[in-house]
Amino acid sequence: MLEVIREPLAEAFFVRALWAVVLGGLTCACLGAYVVLRRMAFVSTALTHSILPGVVGAMLLGLSPYVGALAAALLTAAGAAWLSNRKGTSEDSAIGVMLSVMFAAGIAMMQLAHSWRDFTGLLFGSVVSVGPQDIVIIAVTAFVVLVSLRILHKEMELASFDEEYARLLGAKPALLRAILLGLVALGAVACVRLVGALLTTALFVIPAATGVLLGRTLPQVMGWAVACALLGGIGGLYLSYYLAWMPSGAAIVLCCALPYLAVRIFAPRR
Amino acid sequence: MSLHFPAWLQRLNDSPLELLPTLPYSSGGKTHCQGIAVQATDLSASARPDGHLAFEHATFEIPCGCRAALIGPNGSGKSTVLRALAGLIKPREGKVQVLGSPPALGRSQVAYLSQRPTFTENFPLQLRRLVQMGTYAHHGWFEECHHGNQTVDRALELMGLTNLADRPVHTLSGGQLQRGLLARATVQGAEILLLDEPYAALDQASRDIVEKFLFEQGHAFTVIMATHDPADSRRFDRILEMRNGTVTTTHSCTGHGHHHA
Repeated sequence: MLEVIREPLAEAFFVRALWAVVLGGLTCACLGAYVVLRRMAFVSTALTHSILPGVVGAMLLGLSPYVGALAAALLTAAGAAWLSNRKGTSEDSAIGVMLSVMFAAGIAMMQLAHSWRDFTGLLFGSVVSVGPQDIVIIAVTAFVVLVSLRILHKEMELASFDEEYARLLGAKPALLRAILLGLVALGAVACVRLVGALLTTALFVIPAATGVLLGRTLPQVMGWAVACALLGGIGGLYLSYYLAWMPSGAAIVLCCALPYLAVRIFAPRR
Repeated sequence: MSLHFPAWLQRLNDSPLELLPTLPYSSGGKTHCQGIAVQATDLSASARPDGHLAFEHATFEIPCGCRAALIGPNGSGKSTVLRALAGLIKPREGKVQVLGSPPALGRSQVAYLSQRPTFTENFPLQLRRLVQMGTYAHHGWFEECHHGNQTVDRALELMGLTNLADRPVHTLSGGQLQRGLLARATVQGAEILLLDEPYAALDQASRDIVEKFLFEQGHAFTVIMATHDPADSRRFDRILEMRNGTVTTTHSCTGHGHHHA
């Protein structure tokens, strides 16, 4: 049994993937608690999907893919906010518009770049090809996100629970929402290598949805979400290591969903 | 219970030697509010920026320590008055001063309780944490509140909620939640309570606790309470009646003295 765990650890690529999954899972699970509680799953999907045109565009322009991805994600968030501030457009249809426009632009640009195959890693994840430089980016992002969430904990909790009271106390809920969207964009961009642009939203939603079923306070929700993300992430990596046909991104998402299902079925509360 | 204090007793009450129990937040039982708490001149406002005027040319004043009832039928603009005083909506015309300055967000001295609070459903939050949110008013950005637990305990006790402190907020009844929100307002250190139909969700037991809190705590704060039921206004010092889009003061107190009909 121990041998099963130890064997892949001899491979450098596997250890790097493990680091990426642990740091990325931690980041996304903590952010995910807010995403799930504030019902922002759809906007997180839009942000993660818009990474595709960002990366392809950056490649066409010769920029760093991370810069392009972040710019595209922020553009999506800003576009959705701008559209939904106009009369007659609800927020979810504004997000729907931005999501499909950005994704369509990404597909068009992929054709322009004459390469579909190069982008499968982007769409479906390629955690085993994570390089040392990617680990540094994920680690820095995790640090920035976790420190921001810690510093703004009470304001973010208040604004997420009772927006009007947050306004009354002068805590600027609109600003906090923008900060949260920015952090989600940052987390999504850093973690896109783990499971791919199409599935990154699962890292935000599934562990946190599990946490919400188990936790009685926000820190407890985050704690359970992190546990679920680590279990799923590490479990998924081992699964795809031993099952040659299993893509790592899909394995991670499926392994995250197992604790969710188990808790959903056997949850003591609610 | 109506209290008629002779002037010398009132002064004693305002001094550090208080006779009445102090509120959790109040610094020595004293209110900082002096003179006029709320003064509106020719005020007009609408519930939505582009909506029709809920009331116009309202002129009224409420002295510090006064309990004022805002009465009128549904849709007469009571909520709009309170929201304007809280700084949640900008008046269209006229002037309004709350504690000597125009209404603004971010003032801990003013607490507003909405008629229908909109909380995020199923949010993992215990009642104690809800009440503790009132202390955020005294902690700026980037600060975590490590103290203030004693204040929170006393506010919970005042509202008869000590046993429910660890209950998730979404499992509380309407009346328990309403008391929790009042406890939060006291922890916040509010000197003016703007209450929008606070009795709506209360059973008799909850209502007794709330009334005791509102009417039997000396002059610790100014209350402005909206209610559609004229019977609720019996114990108030001043009645502002909203009718045909404007506000008339029908019954006045002199501020620090309590006069009852």
